[in-house]
Amino acid sequence: MDHKYLKRVRRNDRFARYIITVGGLAVIFSVILILFLIARVTFPLFQQPSVRQVAQFNLANPAASRVLATGVDEYLENLFLVGGDGSFVFYDPRSGQTVERLAAAPPAEGLRVVDAEQFGAARYNLLWNDGSLTMEQVRFRARFDAEGRRSFERSLVRLGSLGPLPEGLPQRTLARGSAEGGLVRVTLQADQRLRVDQHLVSEDLFGDQTTEHYDFYLETVAPGEKITALTMDEQGTALYAGTDQGSLLRWDLSEPGEGVLKDRLPAFTDRRAITALGLVYGDISLAVGDALGGVSTWFPVASAASGGEKRLQRIHTLIGHGSAIQSLVPSRRDKSLLSIDADGIVHLDHMTSERHLLRLGQDRPLRHLAISIRGDGLFAIDGQGRALVWRVNNPHPEVSWRTLFGKVWYENYNEPVYAWQSSSASDDFEPKLSLTPLIFGTIKGTLYAMLFAVPLALFGAIYTSQFGNDRLRGIIKPAVEIMAAIPSVIIGFLAALWFAPLLDKSVPALFLTLLLIPAFLLAAVVVWQMLRKRPFFKRIEKGHEFLLLIPVLLAAVVAAWQLGPVLEAWLFGGNFNLWLFSEAGSRYDSRNNIVIAFALGFAVIPIIFTIAEDALSNVPHSLKAASLALGASRWQTVWRVILPSASPGIFAGTMIGFGRAIGETMIVLMATGNTAIMDWSIFNGMRPLSSNIAVEIPEAPVAGTLYRVLFLSAVFLFIMTFVLNTVAEVVRQRLRKKYGRF
Amino acid sequence: MIETHSVTAPNPIVQVRDLDFYYGSAQALHGLNLDFPRNMVTALIGPSGCGKSTFLRCLNRMNDLVDGARVVGSICLDGTEVNTADTDIIELRRRVGMVFQKSNPFPKSIYENAIYGLRIAGIKERAVLDETVEKSLKGAALWDEVKDRLHQSALGLSGGQMQRLCIARAISVNPEVILMDEPCSALDPKSTARIEGLIGELREEYTIIIVTHNMQQAARVSDYTAFLYEGVLVEFGLTKDLFVKPKSKQTEDYITGRFG
Amino acid sequence: MNNYWRKGEPFIWGTAAALSLTLLLAAVLIIVVMVNGLGVFWPSKVALASLKDGQQVLGEIVRREPVYEGVGERLQFKVGNRDLYGLDFRWVDEAAIASISYPQQATVVERQEYGNFIGLLQSVQAEGLPTAATPWERLQAARRLVVEQQEGAEEQNAELAGLNIRMERVRRKLQKLAYAGKTADDEEMARLEQRRREIDGAFEQLVDRQASRIEELHRTTATFAAIDGSERVIRVADMVRCFRPNAMSPGQKAFFYLGKLWELIFGEPRESNTEGGLFPAIFGTVMLIFVMSLFTFPFGVLAAIYLREYAKEGPLVRMVRIAVNNLAGIPSIVYGIFGLAFFVYGIGGSLDRLFFPERLPIPTFGTGGILWASMTLALLTVPVVIVTTEEALGAIPSGVREGSLALGATKFQTLYRILLPMASPGIMTGLILAMARAAGEVAPLMITGVVKLAPALPIDGTFPFVHLDRKFMHLGFHIYDIGFQSPNVEAAKPMVFVTTLLLVLIVLVMSSVAIHLRNKMKKRYAYRTF
Repeated sequence: MDHKYLKRVRRNDRFARYIITVGGLAVIFSVILILFLIARVTFPLFQQPSVRQVAQFNLANPAASRVLATGVDEYLENLFLVGGDGSFVFYDPRSGQTVERLAAAPPAEGLRVVDAEQFGAARYNLLWNDGSLTMEQVRFRARFDAEGRRSFERSLVRLGSLGPLPEGLPQRTLARGSAEGGLVRVTLQADQRLRVDQHLVSEDLFGDQTTEHYDFYLETVAPGEKITALTMDEQGTALYAGTDQGSLLRWDLSEPGEGVLKDRLPAFTDRRAITALGLVYGDISLAVGDALGGVSTWFPVASAASGGEKRLQRIHTLIGHGSAIQSLVPSRRDKSLLSIDADGIVHLDHMTSERHLLRLGQDRPLRHLAISIRGDGLFAIDGQGRALVWRVNNPHPEVSWRTLFGKVWYENYNEPVYAWQSSSASDDFEPKLSLTPLIFGTIKGTLYAMLFAVPLALFGAIYTSQFGNDRLRGIIKPAVEIMAAIPSVIIGFLAALWFAPLLDKSVPALFLTLLLIPAFLLAAVVVWQMLRKRPFFKRIEKGHEFLLLIPVLLAAVVAAWQLGPVLEAWLFGGNFNLWLFSEAGSRYDSRNNIVIAFALGFAVIPIIFTIAEDALSNVPHSLKAASLALGASRWQTVWRVILPSASPGIFAGTMIGFGRAIGETMIVLMATGNTAIMDWSIFNGMRPLSSNIAVEIPEAPVAGTLYRVLFLSAVFLFIMTFVLNTVAEVVRQRLRKKYGRF
Repeated sequence: MIETHSVTAPNPIVQVRDLDFYYGSAQALHGLNLDFPRNMVTALIGPSGCGKSTFLRCLNRMNDLVDGARVVGSICLDGTEVNTADTDIIELRRRVGMVFQKSNPFPKSIYENAIYGLRIAGIKERAVLDETVEKSLKGAALWDEVKDRLHQSALGLSGGQMQRLCIARAISVNPEVILMDEPCSALDPKSTARIEGLIGELREEYTIIIVTHNMQQAARVSDYTAFLYEGVLVEFGLTKDLFVKPKSKQTEDYITGRFG
Repeated sequence: MNNYWRKGEPFIWGTAAALSLTLLLAAVLIIVVMVNGLGVFWPSKVALASLKDGQQVLGEIVRREPVYEGVGERLQFKVGNRDLYGLDFRWVDEAAIASISYPQQATVVERQEYGNFIGLLQSVQAEGLPTAATPWERLQAARRLVVEQQEGAEEQNAELAGLNIRMERVRRKLQKLAYAGKTADDEEMARLEQRRREIDGAFEQLVDRQASRIEELHRTTATFAAIDGSERVIRVADMVRCFRPNAMSPGQKAFFYLGKLWELIFGEPRESNTEGGLFPAIFGTVMLIFVMSLFTFPFGVLAAIYLREYAKEGPLVRMVRIAVNNLAGIPSIVYGIFGLAFFVYGIGGSLDRLFFPERLPIPTFGTGGILWASMTLALLTVPVVIVTTEEALGAIPSGVREGSLALGATKFQTLYRILLPMASPGIMTGLILAMARAAGEVAPLMITGVVKLAPALPIDGTFPFVHLDRKFMHLGFHIYDIGFQSPNVEAAKPMVFVTTLLLVLIVLVMSSVAIHLRNKMKKRYAYRTF
């Protein structure tokens, strides 16, 4: 005996044991664990936003000039104040030092600024004390030196200026510029009249510009009512006002020289005063802040009550404040809204999700709020004249359980809906991320497919295992298993490009087939009864019935396809699809649920068949023999003895097939229209979770909301299939234990 | 009342003292004490479930493979304690060979089966291998039947031949003791007779411990017999004594077929 | 009679019908693929239909179907000449046709672009060809000549490609140096700049030469007339094939068919994948499966051995086993999205930051590629291998293990001398099933690196020869892409069917082998049940 060799062998054994144990465990747990990593991607969706104060400093001399407005750049490195002398003072947040002072030139000598209105991206309307107005924009140009450090070149650009008005200094004024260089100014006079000045620029064929000027007064509030809040959209075409009696007014200024009052309605039943108005990013929703601290958003909706006319309607109500709202600052990145009340408390809310994101200023009241353009920074001044800067980590404000699963009233919709529309061309688009229509699509497609596949697969398995001829069984079983290997992309392709066009023309023929197959089958059985007594035919009953039936079924299909057009002409006026639309009011999609049912069904039949067949043929032969010996017929034996014994296996097969159908991607991607509609009609398509992921993930920005929501839908798919498979697997293992083998 | 016997035999090769076996919390063997004499055939008899196979598998520590099995007590092979944690199990198993109830040749050639024990010990010299094959197959009385087809699959042999191949495989590594766990239970009478004959020849060189269900077989092939009942050694002695005048009532009842 | 019904015999017929229907469906699928796929390359006759209104239509008759409203049938002609008519297909009511003939002269030209041209050969413009011959003969001669010339051009192309690669390498080095903070006055930089200028010069020269050569090539042209009389001059260099289907004998047609098959398997795709060959897709599929197996096979077998031979049987192992069984049923798209997040963005992104920071933001490994796609598929198929290997190990009777251990073998010796050889057919089955699944899987690939048209194969002659970061083509995705994303779906259909046929064949052969192996293995251990 070679002891050296034995030593080596033993060392190898220990080594192998170590490798296999560590490696095996590592493989198994990494495979399982990495699936949990998918779930981890979705966690940030449900995180509460966090805020971190990054700077705090005392303003050099806050008393020297009144602060009218504040602003911040996208890097949170330039803070500025607009002072009453028309100067823009820039601060460095790290040191708190003044770094630059840019002064807006007054339109005339010795004027000072009485009011500043911020709108758009770092744009300010300065109202001078003679009633003239200038429109200024703060621009930053970042520059990088050789070491990669950032420095800024700041500038003030005047976008337009308007002279004083004959009525003198207005109570309030708004102005907007259009891309062509036109200007619109709305002024609220002391007598509550609203004056509109439109300076419209038009360009003729030769590129010569002409400016037209219109001024007019708007139909306005009832006497005794006072306008307390005013706002206008970026184009200067829609004007909104709120009053001390709680009325909301809306004018359409899109026609030159004309202002049409579209809405004048009491916003609140208790007629509380409206104290602040603002337009949520995208200029569709109007945010309304009231004297009792309520914040709500409104947009015009056409309803039956208003005769199809669009009227302002309250859509979302956000978490209220304790005191009157002072101002509303919309985010320039999404549909978030900052609101600040009389006590200096600031709320950040998201409109679509109605999520309350942040609350600031409980310890000290805040004033003059500015939000960075990326929505990740806040700048405010508190009561003691201290400047405060926060960095906000708020990546997914638009996601809440309600936006993911509930009905949401999106902008420009007439009612709350379940909708999926993840992206569009414009930045200010309100993403619609409801998973409900996708889950509905998955379930709809799967259910119809199972309706088709389960009976075929189970009955086929019963026949093959119990009545089939042994030799043929040896062929059928592998054939069906090979059928399971057909790539789904091929099934999907045939369904979409071969079956769907075929079905387009012959829906009635398909229904006729469903009728004719049982009819032909019945006829065949009746005829068979007369023939079966002859010894020649006796042989067929020994497991060859299905071969005899193939021509019968083919005959039924051919007959149905021949009679289909006749039926169509007779019942549906020659065109079923048209009939369906006009008579039944249902649209016919070419890639519809019938196609899916067949294609998806075809894909899962082999899976259900194989597992059910295994379960059936593993029922011990003795059971069958015992039943037959008691005089039961072969069908009775199967029905009363075999099926109950094998039922767990059959159940498991169905579950596993169900799981496979839920996750199938290519078939549904190719053969559904991928429209996220919720309609049980078999003539419509759908958009299931799986194909939605395949379609959208290549376009989704990494770590964005859409990206994470898609991961969430993958988690759903995972959970659904995991539960189904686990149930099936547990049931199957029980069955194995019962019969001792598999 | 069960009387426990502890019997010493002349020139023992395996000595078992106070052996308890637990499977989980259930005890299967209770305080066994017995000696197996060298170059003799000892039969273990007893009704099903009395623990004879379990006992046998303690001797080459095959029970180590069973989860939850625990052996307490002393087993000495040639004076060396083997039921300890630091016993070299591989060495032990090479000294104590085993033949199983169901023949279990590997799906390899007859030749490869016969020299498997050498292969795993790292022996590669062709001459040694050839010599061992011939010697062990002859030892198992199989040589004449298979010498022309040594390189054919062992799975093509008959049941009796397979079992003899397993015996050949066991003796190829020159063990001191061969454990046989009902080696004939799955065989026809003719093959059984051949294997019984073989056991008679093998005792010249090896100590054989055989578990059997078959009283006649025990009487035919063994020199000593131990009767186990419910995990307790009831009686141990020379076969001719035990079968002719059993000391215990239980032994008498069992061998006369009143239970079991 | 009553007895017959009471015994439930008709129900048996009902179950038989279910089986028949299932088999019929499978047969229909195979037949549809076969019929549509096999015939694509057979040169069909070109029909000349004279319409009653005096028009003439020249083209292959593709389909006939009943007129949508009314009586009779209509015929679909593939008239080709996309550049003239805009569409390849034309429907003609049979009632409007006066006569159909099959002129021997009708010529089909397969072009590099714009699909087929169907028309009549008028004349050939070429230098140095016998003028006495018929235009057809002259055309054949001209084509031979052009092929010779083109071979020369090929060499130049190879030279160009070589220069390109050297250029790219110099550019990379420059980039790296620049990233490392070197400036233009650095010695190394200057040397590289010099190299770059040299290569640039050589490049320009070569391009000039090639241009003149191509110009020369393009002087050889042939003039064809479409059936409506309009003439078209086609460069001989642009012709892929030129044949007269009506004048071909069955032997010639068979030869033609084989030629097309050869092109399919070894050729490059043309016309946004709707014509030409599938070589890059076949290569991509094979390589994908191969790389996947490199991961799947060892890890799957290792995990299965652990589960079956080394792990202590208990509730935990049972749960793990259920979980592993389960993983085989998790939707492939879930694996795909995981692969995207973990491999592409996670590992790939980190690799880029560590090793290729100078190329950022252009990703090297941080984007889909064949390595990530393979690893994703490996993850997807590992459960298949684990389950089948475990079953194969479990099917080995425990007596065999004991027999080996009783002879003093260690566990590992037992494993590699006895158990693994015995389980190998089962392991192979698992691997083949995994490979078949990988060959047909598309959804996870779509998001981890498969592309419509890959500029280069993942293996080529440039260092380091295997480029696992490259994007690749895949047969399954090819089907999806040309069937659904191509601008001219009708014209792409034949190619889709051919690809489908090929993929079906590959997958069916693989799974048949796997199933055969498995059944054989089942029989082999049957002797143990005595």
